[in-house]
Amino acid sequence: MPVITLQYDDLKKLVGTDKDTILKHIPMIGADIERIEDTYADVEFFPDRPDLFSVEGVARAMRGFLGIETGLRKYDVKKSNMSIIIEKSVKLIRPCLACAVVRGLHFNSASIESLMALQEDLHWGLGRNRKKVSIGVHDISKVKPPFVYKAVDPNTEFVPLDFDKKMSMRTILKEHPKGVRFAHMLEGVNRYPLIVDSGDNVLSFPPIINGTLTAVTEETTDMFIEVTGMDASVAMALNIVVTALAERGAKIESVEIISDGKSAFTPDLSPTSRELSIGEVNSLLGLTLDAKQIVRELEKMRFGATVKGEAIEVAIPAYRADILHNWDLIEDVAIGYGFDKFKPELPETATIGRAHPIEDKLALLREIMVGLGFLEVTTFTLTNERVHFDMMKRTQANVTKVKHPISEEHTMIRCTILPNLMGVLSRNKHVEMQQKIFEVGDVIVDSKDMQKLAGVSTHSTANFAEVKSVVESMLKELGLEYEIAESNDPAFLEGRRASILVKKKSVGVFGEIHPDVILNFGLDHPVVAFEIGVC
Amino acid sequence: MASDKPSTLTANEKCILLALNKVKSADPQKLAAESGLQIDAAMQAAFLLAKKGLANIVEETIVLYSPTPEGELYARQGLPELRIIAYAEGKPTPLIKLKNTFSDKEISIALGWLKQKGLASIEKRGKETVITPLKTHKKYPPEEVLHYLLAHHPETLTSYPSTTIQELVGRDLIRCTERTSRVIAITNEGRKLVRKGIEIGEDLGQLTPDLIRSGEWRKKRLRPYDIHASSTRIFAAKKHPYQRLLDEMRQICLEMGFEEIKGSHIQTSFWNFDALFQPQDHPAREMQDTFYLDSKGKLPGEYVQNVKEMHEHGGDIGSTGWSGHWSEELAKTNVLRTHTTAITIKYLADNPNPPVKVFCIGRVYRREAIDATHLPEFEQLEGVVMDEGVSFKNLLGCLAEFYHRVGFKDVRFRPGYFPYTEPSVEPEVYVPELGWIELGGAGIFRQEVTAPLGIEHPVLAWGLGVGRLAMLRLGLRDLRDIYAPDIDWLRRYPACQL
Repeated sequence: MPVITLQYDDLKKLVGTDKDTILKHIPMIGADIERIEDTYADVEFFPDRPDLFSVEGVARAMRGFLGIETGLRKYDVKKSNMSIIIEKSVKLIRPCLACAVVRGLHFNSASIESLMALQEDLHWGLGRNRKKVSIGVHDISKVKPPFVYKAVDPNTEFVPLDFDKKMSMRTILKEHPKGVRFAHMLEGVNRYPLIVDSGDNVLSFPPIINGTLTAVTEETTDMFIEVTGMDASVAMALNIVVTALAERGAKIESVEIISDGKSAFTPDLSPTSRELSIGEVNSLLGLTLDAKQIVRELEKMRFGATVKGEAIEVAIPAYRADILHNWDLIEDVAIGYGFDKFKPELPETATIGRAHPIEDKLALLREIMVGLGFLEVTTFTLTNERVHFDMMKRTQANVTKVKHPISEEHTMIRCTILPNLMGVLSRNKHVEMQQKIFEVGDVIVDSKDMQKLAGVSTHSTANFAEVKSVVESMLKELGLEYEIAESNDPAFLEGRRASILVKKKSVGVFGEIHPDVILNFGLDHPVVAFEIGVC
Repeated sequence: MASDKPSTLTANEKCILLALNKVKSADPQKLAAESGLQIDAAMQAAFLLAKKGLANIVEETIVLYSPTPEGELYARQGLPELRIIAYAEGKPTPLIKLKNTFSDKEISIALGWLKQKGLASIEKRGKETVITPLKTHKKYPPEEVLHYLLAHHPETLTSYPSTTIQELVGRDLIRCTERTSRVIAITNEGRKLVRKGIEIGEDLGQLTPDLIRSGEWRKKRLRPYDIHASSTRIFAAKKHPYQRLLDEMRQICLEMGFEEIKGSHIQTSFWNFDALFQPQDHPAREMQDTFYLDSKGKLPGEYVQNVKEMHEHGGDIGSTGWSGHWSEELAKTNVLRTHTTAITIKYLADNPNPPVKVFCIGRVYRREAIDATHLPEFEQLEGVVMDEGVSFKNLLGCLAEFYHRVGFKDVRFRPGYFPYTEPSVEPEVYVPELGWIELGGAGIFRQEVTAPLGIEHPVLAWGLGVGRLAMLRLGLRDLRDIYAPDIDWLRRYPACQL
């Protein structure tokens, strides 16, 4: 999740109050303070609130929450008389575009850095790593509109950011660090997106890299912003960026987007509207707020709100990406009201608690095994074929394998517990004998959940007779009618192994572990073991 | 720790006490001889008596002397100075004459001592040196010491003057060695006890069925144990402390009236993600965060269309949905469940009639690199309440009650974010050593989640990773310790610590 660095000086100026008040209340709008330093704090905001990914956005929200400036923030948008044409060629590759002009900027190195950080966080969140959204900012004094967004031959050359020589777009994907990182997004495409000005000067190669020509510096006062992508989130990303800049006094101007002969203007910062029922707010939150109070809480959260009979008409700022449904607004009412003001109250729902029969049975098995002197252990269900089959001398069976394991150690889900217990013994080789351990837990057999119980005992004189008496005691405690039959499990020694049959069906095995298996696990004492399916 | 009861003494102790009473004090050899016990047994009993205040053991270091080879020679021949005096028979004797009988070395040794001790006068007479014995001596201590040691060495020389001993050591005629010796003496307590009467009989170590049945035990004496002696360690078999914690959580949920549910580890993406309104391009669904399986599962036909419409357009509840295309094929992909919510949501879909209060504790999987605080699998606990008219305030009520029962007195709530709840809340508990700790997450299921499944009432839901709680409660620093058992740690971890 995005972590925003908030410089106290900047934050104080933008919010209009002292840093301690701000830091004290920030967690209550939905944030985790990661660290507090002498001159700045790092704060993590939630991914559904990209409007808080900049210090300007945070300041706007905090002004409302602290009651310094509440209600809907209005932004003026003038026409810039600039336009950009979307050519058909790019429609199948990266069809969506939103642009704006921002004038009257006074950058310093810190505010440039903050803008870059906002861009990166938007690329991550809304943009799904640039797949859905990528943003380019340009010094407008270096180029001449109208602009064109089109798809071109990969051999087209320009000088990309951070380089000082012309490169073809194909080369950029192979050699430029950003190209290498994002090249996969243009796989299978034979023409690449490009934005140029009226003189064919390259502004950007979305979603990969900008041209060096329009690089934004501290001297930049007027900026052209383009957001390309796959759906309507491009408009949201643009709104978030331009309103953040406007918080510092910059002026926003719209750009005409011409596509298929039709024209539209972006950005559109007019609020959207939702009607919220007072009854729904109170029943969901368990409060008894009146219309005025709800309006007040919404205004604290920077919405516009007016009472309309039994409902409230809410104007949602164009930078809020998280309002999909009325309950999203109700959450904001709760945040405005203050989570700390709620009086928790148990629901009146009267029900009777009931444990799951399987869990009851497992608890019983634990009791029996502890009574028989076995210590309980817990292990991972993720394991690998080498330990699970090869080291046990067993042939590989059909198991549940994961597609992208984190390591060679965790490639499948266990279908038996015994190999895990052998692993435990091998890790505890230095620990005082006699070791008697058991585990009862989940395994997956033929893609179905099952519970098994396994136990091992190791010491210098462990033998078949010992494990047989353990197994039979356990089976008797379970009240099972069973038979003992010859087993051919290769993990055990021939002539010292047996199957447990219940209703003529094999449910488990016990005996002396084969010396080869003992050695495979780096052990040297005799080991006797059993395993039985229990649920 | 004085003891006045003879019955608490072992047979050996009684034996030694009686022997000491006779001889007052003795060294170990003597004590052994006197009591008829082996030296080791005698001393063991003596130490026990000393512990009880009935005997004293004094350790002293004694110095023993033995003649050197030269000393032994002189002890047999006589010291050179004495032999020369004897030779001279009281008369002045020229040195030159002595050389016929004595070696140069003997003469030079003798002259020094004769002169130093004033046993003879040594004068130059013309060209000759003449030795004249001054008096006939009766006793010459160095010689007596040598004779004594020749017969007894090694031995102490406590009755000889220290100047003589120093002289002989200086002349390298005798050498000393040190030995620590113990002297055991009876105390007044011991004497008193003996006066009361001590009876020597055979002690019994083990009570046997025969002794009990025959009544013989009444006639014999059962040897008392030293109750402070160290005992053999037995390793108690027990449940894993982590399991104990899980059981405690389960018990709390049951007491709060929740019913336990279980479900499969393998889930379709549909139940794990789509039914929870997780967009299909959500980062959490990517293969770097989730364990995907090769297999595909069956979709619940009755819900598929509703869920698709909810994702694409927001259904008919006034939601915007996620827009874009929702793929049925992606929803079929099987995963290892990333949360138990996959189980609870399916249960709610199957049981849409209020009230429902269920909980689930189960292993969940995240594709995370393993370190001290991240594991690819861990237990999650989740509880839901679905009923007519339940509210956010009730959710906070459940959370507060639950965490209080887990043992956290102070609980507070902050806004949170979870993709399938709205409002969402992050509960925090106060831990004295650590401050406020985030523990779990909660919220009310979004209508985008409940509506397509036909669930008409609010669903309050909360969950937590039990590992985090285990770290707080079991004092673990590393989550891996739960699943990589250290038998030694388990043996040492007291069952009642929880």
